[in-house]
Amino acid sequence: MKCLSIEQIYLYIEKEFSAAQNKKIEQHLATCLKCKKALEDRRLLLQAAESLPLWQTPPDFTQQVMARIFPAKVSLSAWLTAASAGFVSIILAIFIFFLVTGQNISGLLASLNQALWYFVRNISPISVKLLKLASLFVKLLQQFSEYLIKGFTLLTTIISPEVQIIVITITIILVASSVYGIRKKLLVGEKA
Amino acid sequence: MSSVDEDKELVERTIKGEKEAFEMIIRKYQQPLLNYIGRMVGERELALDFTQEVFIRTYSSLHFYKPQYKFGTWLFKIASNFIIDYWRKKKIDAFSLDQQQANNLPPLQVSDEEPSIVKKFETSELRERIERALEKIPAPLREVFVWRHVNEFSYEEIAEIKGLPVGTIKNRVFQAKELIRKLLEDKK
Repeated sequence: MKCLSIEQIYLYIEKEFSAAQNKKIEQHLATCLKCKKALEDRRLLLQAAESLPLWQTPPDFTQQVMARIFPAKVSLSAWLTAASAGFVSIILAIFIFFLVTGQNISGLLASLNQALWYFVRNISPISVKLLKLASLFVKLLQQFSEYLIKGFTLLTTIISPEVQIIVITITIILVASSVYGIRKKLLVGEKA
Repeated sequence: MSSVDEDKELVERTIKGEKEAFEMIIRKYQQPLLNYIGRMVGERELALDFTQEVFIRTYSSLHFYKPQYKFGTWLFKIASNFIIDYWRKKKIDAFSLDQQQANNLPPLQVSDEEPSIVKKFETSELRERIERALEKIPAPLREVFVWRHVNEFSYEEIAEIKGLPVGTIKNRVFQAKELIRKLLEDKK
């Protein structure tokens, strides 16, 4: 038998040959020092490669993956339980507070009621003014949109469709560029 | 029950909605997958993230799994595609064996004055040098080397994962080993 190729040496070490092939190789190795030396070098390489340190996963790795695949869903009953628990805790805290400080609970309710009344009384004129302003704004918006529709109708009756397209395109460009310009100016202002 | 049958049963149970069955799959394959992915990407945290992603991808594709294939090889095929996608997104051309590599093939025959490279090192130093050399060899060779000598897959299993002939895989693993042997003498 002629000398082994390097690939054959590896395959022999990895026991990839049949018993008959192995026997022939062993007979050759018994007489060929060059192949024997080459085989020993590769055997050491493979032994080291097969005992490389293993990377370990953290102990909670499986739980982490499972939590990502099956995220925990909070049921409606759990939400209700949590809300009830919160409400009961607040009531209990108020009760304990009055028990510890010795204050009169009806007195507190009366002062709370009074505070609420003061709040409503002070806030009502402002809210009326705000409502008036809002209705004025809605009226203005309505009038503006009416004019806009009228103008548009006039435009479609007087001007040909081609010119209409040009006018609309120019308007869109003007609006877009002015919005862009305002935005840029604001950004410059921010940077400054 | 053999490991292959056990895997198929676990897959069936997972599809039926048994979460515990998939948990068992994760426990069984997390370390082999991390050892493969870790050596392909080189960073522990990234490797852990990718291993998680591979399990998630596997879970969502379980309906496509064909029981005539080994589950383990199917899982590693998903992992291999995941890494190729990652490198493609990062525009790293790690998975093409280019012409330069083809020209840099190891010798086929033992030369008359071949030195004993491996014998010179203590086992622990040898392991460290192999790890460093692994980082330097092309990804397609590193991949098959890790599957063969770290994950201990057979050549037939690797051929199934890659969808390549067994002869091609044997040749790639051989090239990887000889390249590593050549790189053992590098100082850094």
